[in-house]
Amino acid sequence: MNRNVIWKIVLILGVLAIFTIAIIPTSSNPEPIKRGLDLKGGVHLVMRVNVNEAVRLETDQGMNSLRTQAQAQNLPVPSVRRIDDLTFVANPPAGVPTSNYERIARDFLPAFEITPISDGLRFHMKPQAQSQLQRDTVTQAVEAIDRRVNALGVTEPIIVPESNDRIVIQLPGVDDPARVKDIIKTTAQLQFRLVEGNSASTAQAVFDSLTPAQRAATDILPANEEDDMGRVVGVKYVAVQKNVPVSGRDLKNARVQKGRVGEPVIGFSFTPDGTPKFAALTKNNIGRYMAIVLDNKVVSYPVIKSEITGEGVIEGSFTTQQANDLSLVLRSGSLPASLTQLEERTVGPSLGRDSIRQGVTASVIGFLILVAALIVYYKGAGINAVVALLLNLVILLGMMAYFHATLTLPGLAGIILTLGMAVDTNVLVFERIREELREKKTVRAAIEQGFSRAFATIIDTHLTTIISALFLFQFGTGPIKGFAVTLLIGLGASVFTAFFVSRMIFDIVYKPTDRPKELSI
Amino acid sequence: MQIFVNPDYKFVKHRWKGIAISMIFVIAGIAAYFANGINWGIDFAGGAAITLKFRDAVPLTELRRDLPDATIQQYGKAEERNIYIRLPEQKRESDYAGQVVGQLHERLNPGQTGKHDLNYDGRDKLASLLKQNDPDNRGTNPQAIQHYDDLSKKIIDQRSKVGIFTSMQQVTSTEGVSANAARLLNEKTYLGRFNPLSQENVGPQVGAELQRKALFAIILSSLAMGLYIWFRFRDFTFGMGAVACIVHDVAISLAFMLIMKLEFSLNIVAALLTIVGYSINDTVVMYDRVRENRRKIKKGLSLAEHLDLAINQTLSRTILTSGSVFLVLVALIAFGGDVIRGFAWILMIGVISGTYSTLMIVPAVALAFDRWTSKTTTAAPARIEPQRSETPARKRKAS
Repeated sequence: MNRNVIWKIVLILGVLAIFTIAIIPTSSNPEPIKRGLDLKGGVHLVMRVNVNEAVRLETDQGMNSLRTQAQAQNLPVPSVRRIDDLTFVANPPAGVPTSNYERIARDFLPAFEITPISDGLRFHMKPQAQSQLQRDTVTQAVEAIDRRVNALGVTEPIIVPESNDRIVIQLPGVDDPARVKDIIKTTAQLQFRLVEGNSASTAQAVFDSLTPAQRAATDILPANEEDDMGRVVGVKYVAVQKNVPVSGRDLKNARVQKGRVGEPVIGFSFTPDGTPKFAALTKNNIGRYMAIVLDNKVVSYPVIKSEITGEGVIEGSFTTQQANDLSLVLRSGSLPASLTQLEERTVGPSLGRDSIRQGVTASVIGFLILVAALIVYYKGAGINAVVALLLNLVILLGMMAYFHATLTLPGLAGIILTLGMAVDTNVLVFERIREELREKKTVRAAIEQGFSRAFATIIDTHLTTIISALFLFQFGTGPIKGFAVTLLIGLGASVFTAFFVSRMIFDIVYKPTDRPKELSI
Repeated sequence: MQIFVNPDYKFVKHRWKGIAISMIFVIAGIAAYFANGINWGIDFAGGAAITLKFRDAVPLTELRRDLPDATIQQYGKAEERNIYIRLPEQKRESDYAGQVVGQLHERLNPGQTGKHDLNYDGRDKLASLLKQNDPDNRGTNPQAIQHYDDLSKKIIDQRSKVGIFTSMQQVTSTEGVSANAARLLNEKTYLGRFNPLSQENVGPQVGAELQRKALFAIILSSLAMGLYIWFRFRDFTFGMGAVACIVHDVAISLAFMLIMKLEFSLNIVAALLTIVGYSINDTVVMYDRVRENRRKIKKGLSLAEHLDLAINQTLSRTILTSGSVFLVLVALIAFGGDVIRGFAWILMIGVISGTYSTLMIVPAVALAFDRWTSKTTTAAPARIEPQRSETPARKRKAS
């Protein structure tokens, strides 16, 4: 056998070995090719981060910071009023020049553009600042969800931002979608806001008790009506200021503690930034009620008895389970804005199992039919093509393992479909060889010509399919991407097997030196 | 074995019949569209889709009463007792599917509050029940936690194996369940009436976006394919023929989908995109042959004769290649399950139509374009001559 052929055999066996090793399960890697959610079971979610909430919060904090800084610099505190999510106006008391406040704004509110208006200043968030804030909000949300999901012990989750304000969450193996969604979606947005007026049993009653000025500057939120033992007996409503001076962002830690009568409460501490803010809020409002608002619901509204620095306690009617969950989400960080579910695809473990069984059955049967057809039609050369197909399959699976591609149900169909398509390379060559033989060429010449003439055509047919597979990859999500991936890898492998493997088998069986007379094709 | 030995069919001569047959299909598709509309799947129409497996007889009346606006149908074989529930789109984004499944669970399993449903709950809930009650006296150390995590995994795996638990015996006979654990499970858990196989929810925003993306992907990939052919063969006529071929194959597949009332889902779009790339292959192989023949000895042949010759020369290959993909698709349709079936059907139609269009449609379009360009320009007149089916027999036998 000539050296060239030996080298080719070594190369092919080497390729075969490399890819076979990749797909043999080992104890450290029991699943060499990862199954997608549709085969393994799990939850796929697309969430929208409501970034405008974070923008509004930033505007609120800007308003607050203008007031506190004015106070710190011994200037009269201006009256500030929010116009929309991005804008607020500040009106200094009569006779005080606006330039003082402009200076404060330049130093402490860099995110806002200031324009003088007739009786004061108009603050509008700069577009760059707004888009930066939106990006940060999504990043923070991704991080918070990541921490929560990890705390739940989900293995190999995927949590990635997508197109501006969305997050794609994939949780393989999760079989209780309701609970996981609850934990992910809890904003755990904690706010400390001052209470106006009195509580009442209906929102209308609270609204009626407020002055028109108060009405414009407050939100009416629900709270639990409790009896003397701390048990929930109904709902009541409380008016709290729209302004949010301190929020969960300022929180450093949270944990479950025992309250006075042994009930679970949540103890928390503030960050170095948050401590002075909370201290100022409590110091300036001694005797007033402060509402602790969690996800737009008033958890409790204790009266402020003294200035509080560093630590505090949230009391509410929690069960131990609720207190545990709440401290988990507070600890792992609140979401900077609420989430809205846009899409969910959950597959239970039983269905995934069924899908694999059906997909594998169909593929094996399809493969056997293919093998039978090839051998019947092309006899000896058919066996050659079958060997090429088998190698093609090994390379395809091996590549998937190396690239950590996930195998989905359409992907499984894609594997067998690719093999069906890969037959084409052999058919093109074999038909060409037959043509050459009919033109009374020798076996060797027919093989040579068959391969060399079919080459350009094979490249063309593969390229067109690869182009459309790329579009498919770009378009698809999850299962369909899996299909595109198997298509792409399989087509690449098919070029290799047709030109190296089939060719080599012909070279070995019909040695040039033997001058073969007959070709089994 | 050989099917076509030196074929010499007159494809070009019969091209109008070919176009007529395709037109009939497309018109039937359009008629089906006006008669039935498009059966939009959840991916594009939005809404919720839920598949449930029932423990015993499916309570169809109760389901229809609780979900008046839902389409409820059997999924798979009757003895599997799987039910597919499709709910229409909601105006607002919400966790619609999850809410409906939760409500159904409460309504169909009344009086079981506080107990765990082994047919409904997942591994985590079962594990925490076991850890809390510690039936095997393992304590609260990490090994104990591992022990109960493993046990709950085994029980849920057992459920996946049998599909749904129908008796407590099935649960307690799971390997590793001790007598005490069995007692605990009998006391604190029950077997609910259904197991959620899958739930999907697509909000209005995502649905609308997917529609747009799918349309763009199909149009752009068809154009890309036409461009590739144009550049590869330096021949605008061929490029147009290729695009016409793709449009034809996609149109025929869509017509089939409409006539068969198949659900238009993401998988169907994947099938259409695959058709765009695959059905063009036959055309490429045929074009390659025309080019090769032009370079070689076939000077003096008209374009029509060239096309007929190349089609016949590559006929065997065309039929065999499509045939092998066809065989695979038959296996997928027969054994691949419901998710794969619609996808495989569309692919099969696309493959058949791709072969057909290479033989009947592409030559017609290439010729029409060739004549049109020869009327508007005077370039390369030698290639074009009036087509008659009675063109002289070829000098060299098509091999």
